[in-house]
Amino acid sequence: MANYVMVLDYKNCINCKACEIACKEENGVLLGADKHRIWVGSNNPKGEWPKLDIASAAFLPSQCQQCENAPCQDVCPTNATYYDENGVVQVDSDKCILCSYCMVACPYDARYVDDRTVTVDKCTFCSDTRLARGEVTTACQNTCPTKVRTFGDIDDPDSEVSELLRTREHFSLKSNLGTKPKLFYLT
Amino acid sequence: METVAKKSSTIKEFIRSIPINKIGVKDLLNFEKSPLNLFLAALTLVFLGLFVVGVLFYLLHGHHAYNVTREHPWGLLIAVYIFFVVSSTGLCIVGSLGDVFGFKDYMAISKRAIFGSIVTIVAGFVVIAFEIGHPITMMIYNVLTPGLTSAIWWMGTLYGLYLTFMIIEFVFLLKNDMKSAKTFGLIGLLVGLAAHSNLGGVFGFLNARTISNGVFYPTYFILTAFITGVFIAYIMMGFRYKLSFPKEIQTMLGGLAKIQALLISILIFFVTWKFLTDVYGGMPNRAEVAEHILGSWTFWAEVILAMLIPLTIILASKASAYKAIFFASLSGMVGIFFMRYNLVHDTQLKPLQEMKIREYQLPPEWIHYFPSATEIMISLGGLGLCLALYYVGTKLFSLDTEH
Ligand code: SF4
Ligand code: SF4
Repeated sequence: MANYVMVLDYKNCINCKACEIACKEENGVLLGADKHRIWVGSNNPKGEWPKLDIASAAFLPSQCQQCENAPCQDVCPTNATYYDENGVVQVDSDKCILCSYCMVACPYDARYVDDRTVTVDKCTFCSDTRLARGEVTTACQNTCPTKVRTFGDIDDPDSEVSELLRTREHFSLKSNLGTKPKLFYLT
Repeated sequence: METVAKKSSTIKEFIRSIPINKIGVKDLLNFEKSPLNLFLAALTLVFLGLFVVGVLFYLLHGHHAYNVTREHPWGLLIAVYIFFVVSSTGLCIVGSLGDVFGFKDYMAISKRAIFGSIVTIVAGFVVIAFEIGHPITMMIYNVLTPGLTSAIWWMGTLYGLYLTFMIIEFVFLLKNDMKSAKTFGLIGLLVGLAAHSNLGGVFGFLNARTISNGVFYPTYFILTAFITGVFIAYIMMGFRYKLSFPKEIQTMLGGLAKIQALLISILIFFVTWKFLTDVYGGMPNRAEVAEHILGSWTFWAEVILAMLIPLTIILASKASAYKAIFFASLSGMVGIFFMRYNLVHDTQLKPLQEMKIREYQLPPEWIHYFPSATEIMISLGGLGLCLALYYVGTKLFSLDTEH
């Protein structure tokens, strides 16, 4: 029983979007721009040339935050959304009735509809694919050329993620909502 | 064995003793062929036809036949479902005035209102069945693995119970067993209010959607339900008496109009304060959404049609221009529709993904949505179903209360 988290050294991100592709490939996510489990966000740089505000154009890779206190789980009428034994928020497609409440409730827009099962799908930290095969990395982490992502068990004090979170300052997204996200961004 | 047989025979006896008029197709076609009636009959048939076409499109293309998206997963059908269940709860409240609370003046509409509440909630359930992706799975897992922290679970379950109680109450009303009707009416009313405030809670619990989050919607839903109930009561009575109301009906309509004026005034007060706190409270994600809403024509449609027109007419006529209030109630119902639509749409206005995630695009500012033809067809179909069921009901049951 692990407690999986991901740590992102997001300032290294070059917006190559290799992680988006790797995720689709590994997890068989259908084609289509709306069908994505993970994404890299960016903003257009503010200011006028030549005084462009480079900092405002940082790239922010993201995905489901695997919230410890997940609004999507609270609102699910059939408990189709559940926490698995590794603390990963998952959807049981047999129970999902596609009421879409979780899509409205998720503060991070992390959920979408899979047209094959006609149920809601989201990032699973590759639980059904790579982790199930015994690998210890996620597809997005494995492919990232600048090594933005580190994945691991935060309950294990010797893991790389524990070490990073002990030694580097970090923040998480929309933490004011009390969701207790498990994606940590290093500053 | 014997007791089981005995029980089933008493149940059969009970069902047989419910006064129902025996009618055939001929009776259904037997209505006064006035231009208005013919128009309404044709309209109902057209709506039912559109319903069939809409459902076919849905069966062929699933949610792709709707304009719902990842960012705006709830569309018109959710709004229409809310519209119907609000109507149902409202009619239940109006119906209860007489048979539960014993206000004699309102007795005359009890049966009709309770029947209306059954018809509207059935229409609501039919519409939502085409919005929920897997309604059968819902019935199974709602029971097997109930999500007790989910407002949708409570709302759905309580509304199911509510429908049962409403039917039981209606049966006792038909049988003129006022004591049992009162008991089941009271339970039904309480369950209905709980269900309906939970529907408000569906929005109130969304902590990422600051415009909807909080206690406002659960309470506002009850208030607007009562208002909707009074509007529909007027419309039902207007059609029943072809706008020339007998004395005792006038007394009731006068009372209802006064209640309505009070309720609408409270609503205006609520909404004014909601927007004052939204805009001047300056809370991020809430203030700008509220300003955006104030700039949308659908919001003003709601305000003018459901609040200002009815209130002005009631006040100007000192609650006695029943015909004018009948027409104001029609305007009110159109306004109430916009109210529901706005509520659903406005909740999702603000994108939660505020960064740009695709090249050659700007970061999203507001989420746009306009219902697809299929969504509109199924919604109108719900209305058609409501009208048709109500019409059949007026033939099957004697909905007037004898004096
Ligand atoms: S990010 Fe969204 S989908 Fe993921 S656990 Fe949190 S609320 Fe649920
Ligand atoms: S869409 Fe599925 S997973 Fe989401 S809340 Fe509804 S039943 Fe649960």
